[in-house]
Amino acid sequence: MKIPTSAVNDESRRRAEDAALAALVDQYAGALYRVAFSVLRNAADAEDAVQEAFLRVLRHRDTLEEVRDHRVWLIRIVWNIVLDRKRRAKTRPETDDVDELARVLPSAGLTAEQLAAAAQHHAHVLSHVDQLPAKERQVLMLSAFEELSSVEIASVLGITESSVRSRLFRARNLMAGLLNHERSLR
Amino acid sequence: MNSNPHNPSVPVAVSGTISSSAEQTLRLIASLPAPAGLEDRVHAALGTAARSGRILAWPQSDWMRTAAAAAIVFVVAGGGWGIYTHVQHGQPAKVIVMPHAMQPDGFSGAGAKRTPQTLPGPTVILPVKPTPAQHKAKKKPAASLAPSPAASAPAASAATLTAQPDASK
Repeated sequence: MKIPTSAVNDESRRRAEDAALAALVDQYAGALYRVAFSVLRNAADAEDAVQEAFLRVLRHRDTLEEVRDHRVWLIRIVWNIVLDRKRRAKTRPETDDVDELARVLPSAGLTAEQLAAAAQHHAHVLSHVDQLPAKERQVLMLSAFEELSSVEIASVLGITESSVRSRLFRARNLMAGLLNHERSLR
Repeated sequence: MNSNPHNPSVPVAVSGTISSSAEQTLRLIASLPAPAGLEDRVHAALGTAARSGRILAWPQSDWMRTAAAAAIVFVVAGGGWGIYTHVQHGQPAKVIVMPHAMQPDGFSGAGAKRTPQTLPGPTVILPVKPTPAQHKAKKKPAASLAPSPAASAPAASAATLTAQPDASK
């Protein structure tokens, strides 16, 4: 039986794409999960977002060769997914950040009280982060990822590098104002 | 003075300390480890999606591609023809009567139309009912035929002229 050459090429190409996709999953699933969790603050939702991101990549695997920086490209995909989910989740009751943080925070060398206090503190800070304007908040959250440079943050958000810097500066000032105002009230 | 240009009430040193504590929280969350087995779950999801997706994938062989393309063209063309035949042509367009525009002085004609005075049209001839006087006249036809005294006078004067031919003599 004669097998057409194009079919062999297609099959080998598909296998190569599958292998490349599997390698991307192994390499970047953890980073994508952290990005998703920093926005959604829910482990299950973050996992779903990572899965959805890779399913989108599967649908567009023909274009994998054209992508220059896979890491930034994937972070951009998952970033758009989590922002969309966050927007839709506003209609639902928000999850309790303190409980979720207490569950996922590293607890080595901490008593239960210390862990609870730390979780409460972090949840409190995050509630202030949520009060920032969206543009400043997004830059501030992405800047927390040490693996992302300001150029890469600009690429993820689709803005210039100077905009990233100015927004980060504004975000830090606003954050300091919020926290300082709260301290003065105490 | 070393103050924050965006928020003068917050000195730079203080704001830096406060915001750094916030960034510490964000960094902590950004460095949380992914749950164990995440990659395996993603691999499983991708495998399931790829298997289910291949059912609807574009066929590999050339004749099947040709047949699929022909089927798509047939469906599109048939649908277009169905729509074309169901649309009735030649229907008069609906005329939308626009309201009269208000005149610049603020008064409008309230939709009134000027009707020109009509010319005297054709008269209809109706049979006239005879009056009582005409009835009497019809009952005496002889009287009506007899010459009136004024009408017989010329004859008499003519007879008089013929009877006196030599009067001038």
